[in-house]
Amino acid sequence: MPYFVILINRFHLATEINNMAGADEQKENTDSLLADIQKRITDAFDIFDNENNKTVDVREVGTIIRSLGCCPSETELHDMLAEIEEEEPTGYIRFEKFLPMMTKVLMERRYKPLPEDQLLKAFQVLDHDNKGHLTQEDLAKYMSEDGEPFQQEEMEEMLSAAVDPEKGCILYKEYVSRMTIEEV
Amino acid sequence: MGCTSAKTVAPEESSTKSEKVIRSAILIQKWYRRYMARLEMRRRCTWNIFQSIEYSGEQNQLKLYNFFADMLKQMKPDRTGQPKILRALSDNNRRPINCDVRTLEAEDAGLLLLSNPNDIEVGSHYNGMHLTFPLNQSQLQDLIQSFKTKKLLHAKYLLQLLHETRTLLKQKSNINRATISISKQITVCGDLHGKLDDLYMVFHKNGLPSVDNPYIFNGDFVDRGTNSVEISVILFACFLLNPNEVYINRGNHEDHIMNIRYGFVKEVNKKYSVYANGILRLFEDLFSWLPLATIIDDKVLVVHGGLSDTIDLDLISQLDRHKFLSTLHPSRSFDDENVTEVELMEWKQVLDLLWSDPRVQDGCLPNTFRGGGSYFGPDVTTMILDKYNLQRLIRSHECKVEGYEYTHNDKVLTIFSASNYYEVGSNKGAYLKLTGPDLSCHIVQYMVNKHSTKRKITFTKRISQVEKIAMRDLKRKILGCQSELITHFKSCDPENTGTISVIEWCNVLEGVMEMELPWRTMRPHLAKCDPSGAVLYNTSFSDMKLYHGSTESGHSITELLYRNKDSLETIFRIFDKDNSGTISMEEFEEALSVMINTQDISISHDQIIDIAHSLDLNKDGFIDFNEFLEAFRIVDPYGKDESKCMMSGDSETDSVGSDESERNTPSRKVDELKTRKISKLCDIQESEISEA
Repeated sequence: MPYFVILINRFHLATEINNMAGADEQKENTDSLLADIQKRITDAFDIFDNENNKTVDVREVGTIIRSLGCCPSETELHDMLAEIEEEEPTGYIRFEKFLPMMTKVLMERRYKPLPEDQLLKAFQVLDHDNKGHLTQEDLAKYMSEDGEPFQQEEMEEMLSAAVDPEKGCILYKEYVSRMTIEEV
Repeated sequence: MGCTSAKTVAPEESSTKSEKVIRSAILIQKWYRRYMARLEMRRRCTWNIFQSIEYSGEQNQLKLYNFFADMLKQMKPDRTGQPKILRALSDNNRRPINCDVRTLEAEDAGLLLLSNPNDIEVGSHYNGMHLTFPLNQSQLQDLIQSFKTKKLLHAKYLLQLLHETRTLLKQKSNINRATISISKQITVCGDLHGKLDDLYMVFHKNGLPSVDNPYIFNGDFVDRGTNSVEISVILFACFLLNPNEVYINRGNHEDHIMNIRYGFVKEVNKKYSVYANGILRLFEDLFSWLPLATIIDDKVLVVHGGLSDTIDLDLISQLDRHKFLSTLHPSRSFDDENVTEVELMEWKQVLDLLWSDPRVQDGCLPNTFRGGGSYFGPDVTTMILDKYNLQRLIRSHECKVEGYEYTHNDKVLTIFSASNYYEVGSNKGAYLKLTGPDLSCHIVQYMVNKHSTKRKITFTKRISQVEKIAMRDLKRKILGCQSELITHFKSCDPENTGTISVIEWCNVLEGVMEMELPWRTMRPHLAKCDPSGAVLYNTSFSDMKLYHGSTESGHSITELLYRNKDSLETIFRIFDKDNSGTISMEEFEEALSVMINTQDISISHDQIIDIAHSLDLNKDGFIDFNEFLEAFRIVDPYGKDESKCMMSGDSETDSVGSDESERNTPSRKVDELKTRKISKLCDIQESEISEA
């Protein structure tokens, strides 16, 4: 065999081994990421599993999904639920159905929350006249009439935290940064 | 809407604009809902912590009690060779060893001897209420007022009131029958647990009991809170005034053995010193005369705990409820061999009524979480309700965030009336009004806010505050297991790097603490991670150390004592029959060995003696156990914040002497001197936990 062929073969082999090693490392990372994600999902699910039998109330699944850091809209949430609900809905969701669906969502980083500046922009869109604040009535109107409306209780809770006690309106820039800090 | 074509706005522009608004609105809504979900998760975690701590206490209490029962079973009547604790315990339960026939008359006479109000004089310094019997409505109102100003009712009047109440209760049947035919409505109040403000809130909103305003108090009005005496006095006064409109059901805390651990005994001791013993004996007996359930108009069953698949209301209405001085044991004697099948069955009925919790799945299981009673499913509820032609079960026994909760297809309603039960802001209280011929349910919620009339705090702030307290309580528990935790952490870290993986950390905590909690989710509150994400396990103790003010024993022993503080207190109180607050060295040593035997831990006898001797500061052979229990200190060695730290976690009862002259007895002065000595000893090491 000509020498250069051997060389080339060696080179190929080396690259292949290199590649394989890389793949292994990557695989290891993915594995530990996967284990980590699945543990998080299990923990969150267990907190809502009041009966300790690996089921949760279907009405609480949205809270579980969102508490895991996802930001689906109500429609998207509805679709996710439809995917994991029993053929004959029992009002409960089983862990064995929830885990693979949620693992996929988290591994693919779907429904990631938007960064803080996007949220701020959204508030700015609602603030037509660029006043830097929204009145209680404005915010209540947008939140309970547009998009996927809030229930009255949800709305009251939001306002109770959002309204600046002195000015009586929503200083949204401050509100957004306060809320994002609290989350950390 | 459609006829605005005259407007000149370009349709395209307007649609993009409104689309933008909608998109923004959705974005904010999505984000806000996630924010709230995370809060809800934190609230749940917090709740889990409080509940785990609470129920593990209940489990320990039953473990301890069963341990005594087992020991007693093995002991034969030859009482001379028995360990002291057994004699103390069986005396406590008035084992009928010398009297073959227990007659109610003999019992009444014995009880009166212990608690005769006529033996007590009301001193001239007494500034509380004077009661005359029979009571009248204006005396009740004066009582309420005088308790608001923190005045204590004199022992003499308290005993009189208890005797009157007991006599009246004895005439009641096991199952009360209530009707709303006259009043058209009735109110049900759940657990109050010594929280007088909650009872006052209910009365404020709903009025005092009267012929037109009947009440059912569904048990657990004593223990935990600091005003169990006052609540009992007011409830009993209401009952005496309206014997046919006020119904009081027994709860699992209307039980002397529970009171030993959960604060009522301590409260009575503190408030009534020399008279405490008689008062406690009378309460103990009175509790066993409380009816077990109430049925409203043959439609609604009201009981403290719940049901089981063997509940037999006919059997319950016939049994001798007075037999169960404590519901934790089938009979007054510990002579288990003589307990008949029938007695066991009767006992199970009572236990199930007072201790059970509903569960979501069908079926009926022993309640292992609490250690007593059953878990009953919706099928059990349906079966029992159908069997007796009832519509609904109203029960209490479990704290709920909203103060109430419907389960089992709305056939079971839990009602809990102590707001801020775990901590300020942890939960609402609620009472229930049943109205109209079909007894429809109306719930009224409230939250007592003692300290401020400020603007309502937001959900977020409330959760953060409560979370902080839960984490503090949990950290204290963790500190009590420090040595064992470190051993396990180290075994996961053979190379001594000081770090382990998050999963290992969670497994160790779950295994050692024996608490099923979302450790992973709580980890950021409890321990720090290095940049690679591994847990720096020593930070689990936040650089805090546990000391005991007066013993010089090693760390692991101090931890052992701290961990079992509540159980030890229970044992001490069983020994302390005269409620003096002191026990002999011998008794102290035996208490420690009992505790160690239940825990499956080895401590040498010499070590026990060492601890006992180091506590007997004035070398008189007696140990003040309150002093001992209060001498635990959590210390931050870096001294970040040096202030006093209350270890017991319970707020101090206002100690109001019933009579000025009692407060300055010589023995009290000696006690004060001793306390001062001890606190000096502790001052050096006292320091507040730093909540980093």
